[in-house]
Amino acid sequence: MDAKRIYLSEMIPLRNFGKTEVKISALGLGGHHLGAAKDETTAVEIVRRALDGGITFYDCCWEYNRGKSEDWLGKGLKGARERAFVMTKVCTHGRDASLAMQMLEQSLRRLQTDHLDLWQIHGVSFQNDPQLFIRPNGAAEALQKAKQQGKVRFVGFTGHKDPDIHLAMLDTGFPFDAVQMPLNPFDANFFSFEKKVLPVLNNRGIAALGMKPIGGHGEPVQKGVFTAEELLRYSMSLPVATTISGVSELPILEQNLRIAQDFAPLSPAEMKALSDRAKPYAGDGHFELYKTSIKFDNPEARLAHDFPLDLQQVEVKQMIYATQNSGKPYPQVSD
Amino acid sequence: MKTNFEGVESRRTFLKGMAMTGAFSAMSGASANAQTPNPIVPDTTAEKAGSLADFQAPRRPMGKTGVEVSILGMGGYHLGTVAGQPEVNDMVAKALDHGINFFDNAWEYYKGASEERLGTALKGKRDKAVVMTKVCTHGRKKDVAMRMLEESLTRLQTDHLDVWQVHEVVYYNDPERCYAPDGVLEALTAAKQQGKVRFVGFTGHKNPAIHLAMLNGGFSFDTVQMPLNPFDYSYRSFQREVLPLAAQRGIAVFGMKSMGGSGEMIVQGALTPTEALSYAMSLPGVSTTISGMDSMRVLNQNLEVLRHFKPLSEEEISALRTFGKQFEDGRYELFKSTAKYDGELGRTQHDFPSPTELPA
Repeated sequence: MDAKRIYLSEMIPLRNFGKTEVKISALGLGGHHLGAAKDETTAVEIVRRALDGGITFYDCCWEYNRGKSEDWLGKGLKGARERAFVMTKVCTHGRDASLAMQMLEQSLRRLQTDHLDLWQIHGVSFQNDPQLFIRPNGAAEALQKAKQQGKVRFVGFTGHKDPDIHLAMLDTGFPFDAVQMPLNPFDANFFSFEKKVLPVLNNRGIAALGMKPIGGHGEPVQKGVFTAEELLRYSMSLPVATTISGVSELPILEQNLRIAQDFAPLSPAEMKALSDRAKPYAGDGHFELYKTSIKFDNPEARLAHDFPLDLQQVEVKQMIYATQNSGKPYPQVSD
Repeated sequence: MKTNFEGVESRRTFLKGMAMTGAFSAMSGASANAQTPNPIVPDTTAEKAGSLADFQAPRRPMGKTGVEVSILGMGGYHLGTVAGQPEVNDMVAKALDHGINFFDNAWEYYKGASEERLGTALKGKRDKAVVMTKVCTHGRKKDVAMRMLEESLTRLQTDHLDVWQVHEVVYYNDPERCYAPDGVLEALTAAKQQGKVRFVGFTGHKNPAIHLAMLNGGFSFDTVQMPLNPFDYSYRSFQREVLPLAAQRGIAVFGMKSMGGSGEMIVQGALTPTEALSYAMSLPGVSTTISGMDSMRVLNQNLEVLRHFKPLSEEEISALRTFGKQFEDGRYELFKSTAKYDGELGRTQHDFPSPTELPA
């Protein structure tokens, strides 16, 4: 592996990955929605078209769609691995390093590669996650080991719940290369990752990865509060390495590619106008339910933490439905 | 007995601050008492020995207001669910007889029925009570607040409130709306100047950051209300982030949701009522703990807890917090993490969709 490998496509602006010399595209392709494409052929086509359109950053996760997202991304990248900066996430949810290493092998096999460019801890959402991560034999040890073994180049974490939990992760002292978080004009107004976490990352040279630029499932666009272009441009104009946006259909990818290829950063005044427009909607976070409700708390992550699922609660029911998950115990990792 | 010298000293200091010197003795190793249903604080709700007759609830200063309030207050919301006015009358009379002088309410509880019931029950006894109610502007302006004040006074059958608080400051833009020109804070000031309310404050259950934005906005609050229970310590914690600041400024703190808001912590066996109330009433800096009582039975239970109450030692407080750490996902404090306790009126006034209309 050449740590200074530079991707050639420049159809979309390239940015430095944190303080490294590695370049990634300012728009990344999200893995969750990829696994929700109508079939494998469509998913492979989406990846191919993204590659041709200048996207070099590919997000994925061990648990997305029960492995389907990684499978399909691996198939889409077949023969083009060197054109992509591939990230996936490990889903220990507080459990130990050996489980993380098993998941890594599965992810590599599904993605049909011998290494990841970035491997992140998925779904850091609970108050005790930082402590579980850094404990002896916690997932932190897996990140270091995988790096030493040359199976991953960079490591990081992601979460959508609470900026203070992100800061607590950073306070563990672990040398993260990247951190992922929700960034959009609603976030700018409350419980703000943009205000509380992003400056710390910029200061430390940690690559900042934005996600949920249009709110996770596009509700603000459907409700006519913003256009997709306004929201994507907002997130991409922040001091981040990339903005991850997932698509399940080619026409939406085409729209995103056009926005990214024509991208020019918004002015501070334009940024402020967008965050001001979001403000009246931001109060209860109804476009950011991942922060303000438990609807997007992953039921399997809760079970991994030994946190209960009370099926009498409306929001727990929504949570189960939202992830299209049975709520049954976490599936065993096996080969 | 594990209490060390330092622990005793700091307890002495805090008890002195609550004008309760002499009302305690250092708790012995209560956790060793194996036959009680909980391991940390002996349950006193079932004890029938002795008589309530002479018992008077301890009192504490209400911040720096000069008023003294009972360490347990009667919540107004649940008055709306009591079987009828006669039982409310009996409950309020009995509470007053035992020195419970703090009565909570809100303009919007049961569309005014809670205020009316309390007003009727306090007839002829108004001077013995510290009456608090809350104004439900939910972002609206001073004129709305002043109209609500008149309605509250009428329902409560009084010419003044002891405490008037802004209700349900739970949305992230609430502080800004409260502080807006012609906003509800101006109503608080005006009502005070007109002699219609003695002290003012606000309440909310959502997030310490919202409370801090209110407290740090420049307005001089006399009181502030917040959820206080052993599990709060591990999850979006008011006692860690807000209580010390309020105490430092001499702002009276009213604790609420000591049992989770609807007794969830009790019903599901996570705490006994004795533990829940004792914990909330033992936190330094808290003036009163507001507890909802929907029947004479619950009032009696609370009086038993109160009669046997000794401030918990630092060790006991710490043991309850440690025990509560397993619930740090917030499962017993859904008022912080979900819309479950956000009132419909507040949502409407913020132009926010009702929970059922939120995006799927």
